[in-house]
Amino acid sequence: MGPLIPNGVIPAEWDSIIAILIGIVFGFVLESSGFSSSRKLAGVFYGYDFAVLKVFFTAALVSLIGMYYMDYLGYIDINQMYVHPTYLWGAIIGGVIMGVGFVAGGFCPGTSLCAVAIGKIDAIVYVVGIMIGVFIFSELFVLFQPLYEGSFLGNITLEDSLGVNPYWFVFIFTIIAIVSFVISDIIRKRNKKIFY
Amino acid sequence: MVKKKVAKVLAFRYMILAGILVILAGGLVLLPKYEKHEGIKTEQLLSNIISPERYISTDNLADKLINQDPSYLLIDVRDEKSFNKYTLPNAINIPLAKLLDEDSEMYLNQGQYDVVLFSNDNFYADQAWILCNRLNYKNLHVLKGGVNEWYNTIINPLKPAETMPAEAFELYTFRKAASMYFGVAYPEQFKTVIKKAPPKPKKVITVKKKKKAPAEGGC
Repeated sequence: MGPLIPNGVIPAEWDSIIAILIGIVFGFVLESSGFSSSRKLAGVFYGYDFAVLKVFFTAALVSLIGMYYMDYLGYIDINQMYVHPTYLWGAIIGGVIMGVGFVAGGFCPGTSLCAVAIGKIDAIVYVVGIMIGVFIFSELFVLFQPLYEGSFLGNITLEDSLGVNPYWFVFIFTIIAIVSFVISDIIRKRNKKIFY
Repeated sequence: MVKKKVAKVLAFRYMILAGILVILAGGLVLLPKYEKHEGIKTEQLLSNIISPERYISTDNLADKLINQDPSYLLIDVRDEKSFNKYTLPNAINIPLAKLLDEDSEMYLNQGQYDVVLFSNDNFYADQAWILCNRLNYKNLHVLKGGVNEWYNTIINPLKPAETMPAEAFELYTFRKAASMYFGVAYPEQFKTVIKKAPPKPKKVITVKKKKKAPAEGGC
């Protein structure tokens, strides 16, 4: 049956509207869990708050497990899911830049917009910085193009490149997640509590 | 009292949640596996099988071949022996057993050519078509009646009886012309015109006519 839009259960014209609705819910959840605070986000790197790690890891796991169950029961065809194409070096360098920006500014792009919505000045500065970065990138695109379009590996997943059974992969990934939660809890308890 | 109990349980809430995640993920590993249905859906395949859209008639194919349509790719699904004995012009031999090999995939699974499958009848070609259609290969056709029909209509067309409609005669002339294209000779092509020997020049025997001597003298 699923995915709903590619199989015509929901007409394709609806996808922008659905995207907006999901975006509103996503923003609401981000804000209400306190992710619009740069201190909470930076806490992962300083070791006093691991909410970001826990929330996003759990969200990924829940959707992963749920999707494989739905695939098993025939509600969804996992091979029809969109897999983002991999441009290896572009992704690595982009990830490094994003990471540096994350630590320095205390926001990821999504949460920065959330923080702008509640009127945080640092977030406004951050978003202006993103816009300047976008502008520079598009102006110098010819320069970056070989990196941007090079080392293309196709729409691969970890299961393809590691060659493991997806079900075992999900199981091992779950164990890794829970171990990382436990370790992060231990680190958090050792650190001094910071109130913000 | 109840609150205390609830609080006791809730103290372990993260453990419980982690446990649920592990159990669910482990369930995925332990679930009995089953072979998944590959290719297009069963209902779609059935409706494709019923539909006669896949057939191309021998006349239509002959027309395409004579006009040297480059977008047609003929594939013979009979075995090699029959293929070597007789086949349609420029056909490629992919026996039914080798249909799903890697080498054959590049011929069958593409969007450039219109592939025409044929066998002696359309029986094996239909089987090949169903196998490929299930894998969602595009642009596949089946020659209706196969090589036998090709022989009966194009190579050796039946001459229509006198009482048949004009279309039958038109079809016959087309088929006859097509068969000539594919190398069939008709006796009327070789009607030896018996040349009449050029008339021999008549021997002219000149008989000297005796000139009538003018009458000499006279009375």
